[in-house]
Amino acid sequence: MSQSYGIKRVLMHVLLIVLCAVMAFPFYWMVTSGLKTNDEIWQTPPALWPAVPLWSNFVDAWQSANFERYILNSVTVACAIALIQVVNSGMMAYALTHMPFRLKGPLTAIVLVSYMVPTTAVYLPGYVVLSKLHLLDSYAGLILSNSVSVFSIFLIRQAFLQVSHELVEAGRIDGASHLRILWTIIVPLTRASFAVLVLITFIEQYNNYFWPMLITKNPDLQLVSAGLRSFFVEGGAYGLKWPLIMAASAFTIAPLLLLFLFTQKTIMQSVNFSAGVNKG
Amino acid sequence: MNGLRLGRELQALLFTLPAMVPLTVFWLFPIGYVFYLSLTSWDFMSEDKPFVGLDNYIALLQNPALYDSLKVTLLFVLGNVLPTLAGGLALAVLLNRKMRVGGAYRALLFSPWVTPTVAVSIVWSWIFEPEAGLANAVLRLFGAEGVGWLSDPDWALVGILLVTIWKGIGWAMVFYLVALRNVPGDILEAASIDGAGASRKFWQITLPLISPTTFFLTVVLVISSLQAYDQINIMTQGGPAGSTRTLLYLYYQSAFEAFNIGEASAVAVTLVAGCALLSLVSFTLSRKSVHY
Repeated sequence: MSQSYGIKRVLMHVLLIVLCAVMAFPFYWMVTSGLKTNDEIWQTPPALWPAVPLWSNFVDAWQSANFERYILNSVTVACAIALIQVVNSGMMAYALTHMPFRLKGPLTAIVLVSYMVPTTAVYLPGYVVLSKLHLLDSYAGLILSNSVSVFSIFLIRQAFLQVSHELVEAGRIDGASHLRILWTIIVPLTRASFAVLVLITFIEQYNNYFWPMLITKNPDLQLVSAGLRSFFVEGGAYGLKWPLIMAASAFTIAPLLLLFLFTQKTIMQSVNFSAGVNKG
Repeated sequence: MNGLRLGRELQALLFTLPAMVPLTVFWLFPIGYVFYLSLTSWDFMSEDKPFVGLDNYIALLQNPALYDSLKVTLLFVLGNVLPTLAGGLALAVLLNRKMRVGGAYRALLFSPWVTPTVAVSIVWSWIFEPEAGLANAVLRLFGAEGVGWLSDPDWALVGILLVTIWKGIGWAMVFYLVALRNVPGDILEAASIDGAGASRKFWQITLPLISPTTFFLTVVLVISSLQAYDQINIMTQGGPAGSTRTLLYLYYQSAFEAFNIGEASAVAVTLVAGCALLSLVSFTLSRKSVHY
């Protein structure tokens, strides 16, 4: 009994290790391909590890396009958006959960309906709106057009619903303003949800490609995905410089994998929250 | 209404403004605007937008590209949703036990989800390279012939699906892990005492009990499949021979490549209506048939 149990356990670990290896292999392949020479990368069958790892490829790739700028653009825009969403989702959710007012029902319904509309479908009219506001090709346009997320509002609303209304009442009796109650009492109690909001929003915006690409033509404003794509198509000339392209992909992905390494618990917890959002 | 009451109303409205203003400008207004645009003929440049009624919809219905793209969209949705659900559940069942390294397995399997689609699609383009790519090297290792992953109309969609599934399977797994943990142990125990085997317990107890999660994941995955763009743009641009041109890609091409704004808007309206219908159906169904 215990022996067959042990064998089963070992087999299961072997299976899991194989599965994990298959899932992680593209990352390994990206890095090793980035270390090969242009001749070596075309070898068949491909070598699992380069004869002489060419670390200089990473330096060359970094210098052959303005990656510093692209990554900085992505990080700045993503941080700004996450920060704005903390504020406007927090205030909106507070109004919807702890402030009685007549439009509460209609506003909740509007937010709920917009949750169902596919983002990508409004890109064309959104583009026209942005051009009318003279916000094309600007950081302001990149940030403002993404500054509200229905998902974030629902996420925070869900958390605020768990906070007892008596806390708010007590604060009011003590003479505290709604803003003060929100930021000094409610937000600290629901910080787990805000952590999820910040991380998910950051990841989403750092990775964002389609919309930022549509509304910016200036290469200096490109986010990292669009910058990498330009390098892939132009600088890399579609596959003539695969080692450099792989090296560039590696340092584009690295910041996110690092972020994930340190925050994996929170990010994977987000699942509990987003399941809750959909039930709300 | 007295002054105090009015002040309260105004204050609440003030709290909603930071979210409602951008939501209206960049979200609600564009939804209405795209309906209007779909009734006009416009080339993006000229001043006036002649009203043409339902002409764009009629032209769209007569466009064979619509039916091709609907077929691709359907294949993409099914080809993404079913394997992601089944694979995610299988991984979750494997990992649903106490293991010292369980966290490491989970994190590794989940990690593709956080990475930028553009960057990983470029990596997969290299893996799918027909001559020296890894995918064909593996096929040759097993004695099979290599295929033109992204250049053969029969295989291009498979290539794109593989990336999409690879990115989403760990994400689905995490949802299922939570669901499996919430299956009450005493029900399973009672079934064991009554002589039910492992597979019977899985099909007749666990699967029905986690159906809300399956349901939720299905809706989210269908909607995200309908919106898939990045991987198609990087790997095939809708080609070869339109074999990866989904409805969304058709929309993008008629809007930003052909500047046929009217017809593009009609596609967008179709997409919005499809998603709304889907949400409505799922909402009604989840009230009726899903076990909670």
